[in-house]
Amino acid sequence: MDHSSLSSRARTARARLTVPPVLRSVRQLIELVAAKVRGFAQLLIEGRGPYARAFENLIVVLIIFSVASIGVESIPGLPGWVMRALHVAEIIVVAIFTFEYLLRIIAARNKLAFIFSYQGLIDLVAIAPFYAGGFDTRWVRALRLLRLLRVLKLQTHYLEKVVEERTRELADKNAALEKAQAQLKAELEVARSLQLAILPSAFPARPGCQGAARMIPATTMGGDFYDYIELPDGQIGLVIADVSGHGVPAAFFMAVARTNLRELAVRHTDPGECLAQTNDALCAQNPLDLFVTVFYCILDPKTGVLRYANGGHNPPYVRRAAGPIESLNGAGGLVLGAMTGVGYPTHTMQLLRGDQLVLYTDGVTEAFNPTEELYGVQRLVDEVHMHGSGTPAALVERICQSITNFAGTAPQSDDITLTVLTWGAP
Amino acid sequence: MNLRIETLAQATCVIPEGRLDFDAAPGFQETLERTLGGKPAALIIDGAALEYVSSAGLRAMLLAARAAQRAGVPFALCALQPAVREVFDLSGFSRIIAVHPDRATALAHAQPGRA
Repeated sequence: MDHSSLSSRARTARARLTVPPVLRSVRQLIELVAAKVRGFAQLLIEGRGPYARAFENLIVVLIIFSVASIGVESIPGLPGWVMRALHVAEIIVVAIFTFEYLLRIIAARNKLAFIFSYQGLIDLVAIAPFYAGGFDTRWVRALRLLRLLRVLKLQTHYLEKVVEERTRELADKNAALEKAQAQLKAELEVARSLQLAILPSAFPARPGCQGAARMIPATTMGGDFYDYIELPDGQIGLVIADVSGHGVPAAFFMAVARTNLRELAVRHTDPGECLAQTNDALCAQNPLDLFVTVFYCILDPKTGVLRYANGGHNPPYVRRAAGPIESLNGAGGLVLGAMTGVGYPTHTMQLLRGDQLVLYTDGVTEAFNPTEELYGVQRLVDEVHMHGSGTPAALVERICQSITNFAGTAPQSDDITLTVLTWGAP
Repeated sequence: MNLRIETLAQATCVIPEGRLDFDAAPGFQETLERTLGGKPAALIIDGAALEYVSSAGLRAMLLAARAAQRAGVPFALCALQPAVREVFDLSGFSRIIAVHPDRATALAHAQPGRA
């Protein structure tokens, strides 16, 4: 217990003694009423609710009415009842303006600052001449028009606030969207690298056999793939395929098609039979009605015998070591996944030493340049003709370079896939 | 791509003009579905002004052919340009969807009961 707290308690005791209980409760009542009035004033003057808006609109209407009535009053020879009605109206208007003026003072946090502010003075000028009376106050009353400026200003201010708020909300939403998009993009990137990762990275090692491949995915996820399958009897299965459409569905279907084909290739050593089985398997698990074009061939590395079947794919080319280029255009079958129970004929071709097999998807021949011209089959054949004597890797590189040069600034709309195989090279 | 529709007594003809690629395929597919919804006597796609078909375009044709078969509406293609015809032959689609050299032949074949 120290000295100061003792004295403060003594002061409180003294105060209790000097103020009679009745007066205290009256003061409490006054304080309560004052708080209520202030609350009411703030609700009407500063509020955003329907009452505040209605009150504000009422004031605007009254201002316009009172200014208009000044004009009407100046018309000479008005009947007496009109003059009297206008006078009564003026009294009502001034009463409401006075009420509003008082509310503004009550609602203001700093009352003196409000009274002497520009707006406060205009509000006062709007009503003061009526109370002063006795002289022609019409031009002073016309100053009430200035009050409209206040309302307009308030509304502009309010609108600015709303715009600011909405802008902030929009910015927040944009940020959230950008974040979600970045996440989605990152996930797609992962999916795309997974897709690329399941493509074989190297051609199976066999004496006298060389192979190279490249898949350049389009900007959206695509469904091209190639595959090398090592078969039990030492033969090599070679696949190139293109799933219809783009995006995640195509990528999924590609993975399903590749897995099925790989599995069935080991069991069915005839290419046509393998495609027929794969087709039936795909038709049974194809909820999105996608399909895939597949060229499948089996090379016997010892003899150079090539057996192939085609499910709706662009026929590959063989560049003979002696020079001529042939198309592997034996009759094909329907794309895989479209209809169950269809057959695929198997064809056979004898490769000679140094012959080169070129498999591609339509992303190659249907690459566009900025003037919407197609790369086309002829450019591909020309490249194979000119550069086919080198290694498969070199030819793949040459063709990709040629497509890139041709396309220039045109966007790549489809996956570009190439596989080259040379048999019996020294 | 632009799409025109001609309603004849024997068939409704959908005439795609330009490139039927990945971007155009959904609109094309939707038009075919809506046309089939109107229960036409037959649905014929006139390819005289069709310059290019991608795999997504082929898929739209395949879905329409299946839907037409379910609805019992004869479905056929006609007047394909050589490059487009080649795509249909290569993919094997011309074996499961009727392709006629011109519209008159397609209309003649598109009698009810002759899919």
